[in-house]
Amino acid sequence: MKRSTVLTEKNRIKWATVFSFLIILPVALSVAGFAFSRGQEVEVFLEATDPRWESCYRDTEYMRYHHMDLLRDIREDVVRYGIRGGITLAGCGDCHTNRDQFCDRCHEAGSVRLDCFGCHYYPERASERELAKASLAVQALQDGR
Amino acid sequence: MDRRDFLKKSGAALAGASGALSLPVISSCTAETASADSVLEGKRWGMVIDLTRCREGCTACMDACREANNVAFHDDPRWDVHWIRRATIKPKDESYGLEEKSVLLMCNHCDNPPCAQVCPVQATYKREDGIVVVDHHRCIGCRYCMIACPYNARFFNFKHNPDWPNKQYPQRSHGVVESCNFCAHLLDLGRRPACVEACEGVGAGALIFGNLNDRTTEVSQLVTGGFVKRIREDWGTKPKVYYIGL
Repeated sequence: MKRSTVLTEKNRIKWATVFSFLIILPVALSVAGFAFSRGQEVEVFLEATDPRWESCYRDTEYMRYHHMDLLRDIREDVVRYGIRGGITLAGCGDCHTNRDQFCDRCHEAGSVRLDCFGCHYYPERASERELAKASLAVQALQDGR
Repeated sequence: MDRRDFLKKSGAALAGASGALSLPVISSCTAETASADSVLEGKRWGMVIDLTRCREGCTACMDACREANNVAFHDDPRWDVHWIRRATIKPKDESYGLEEKSVLLMCNHCDNPPCAQVCPVQATYKREDGIVVVDHHRCIGCRYCMIACPYNARFFNFKHNPDWPNKQYPQRSHGVVESCNFCAHLLDLGRRPACVEACEGVGAGALIFGNLNDRTTEVSQLVTGGFVKRIREDWGTKPKVYYIGL
């Protein structure tokens, strides 16, 4: 008696189907997704240019692909060797004021978990600040009356 | 220091030491740790706590520390974190004429830190200027250092801290160990620790801080003058927090 799990002449088509579903389909989908996403370059969110910074630390292309290396190097300098006063994570927030748009958008798309903001402060999200401003204005109006 | 410099220096140290027949291994180790272009070089921070000037019931230094370093306070002794705290020390045997004392306790920044020795990921280490710090990026929260520290100066973040008074300084996330770091971020920028400034602010001046390598500072004069004691010097941890009137 032959077991059906063995590849034979008869059940060749069945196994070809199983194989294609298990392996070829996911691979093909990921390749297609990668090829599709290559064409899309997201524009960097820059709300306002802070006068304290003349320009970004490096050019956009470098920052896009190597900001993590840069941050890691700075961290090493600050934590281990006490070299402070240069670029900081909070300094990025002077110009790129919206964490939602600047960090989380790409990190969510790439499903790369960010672990910075459990400890480090990043300026409040732009929408929240607008809300705070609006509520302050309302308060001032009410106080005036 | 690059590899070439290290080989040069260690070779020189070895040659010198083997001539004098004195501990060639140790000399070569000191050549390795010396770094040429470091902002921390030449400094060795230390603190003298003058308990005769410290006011009972005053919490200025502790409040300032909490405010400046976002030290968690949950109002529950199981989860509270303290970088500097006050403890009442009672004598075991009153027949020696010893009295109860209120003592400020903090990380002693040992020259021979047991916490750094046991850290499995080298998150706790001694900086070149002698401050014992935790790299919270690296800390895995195993709490070996809390067991190793004989001064109970280390605390674990069991919970997230909802308060964030000083946005210029990071919080600690849930699951890492922390302790006093002499406000290393302020020292690097040429300022002094928050507790010291607060103590001078209330006019007590019980916390005296400075560079122990510099003979002209008040700290090193007090230390070399022999007015000071350290907690349990017999342990050999060589703390850099000294006490007057302990």
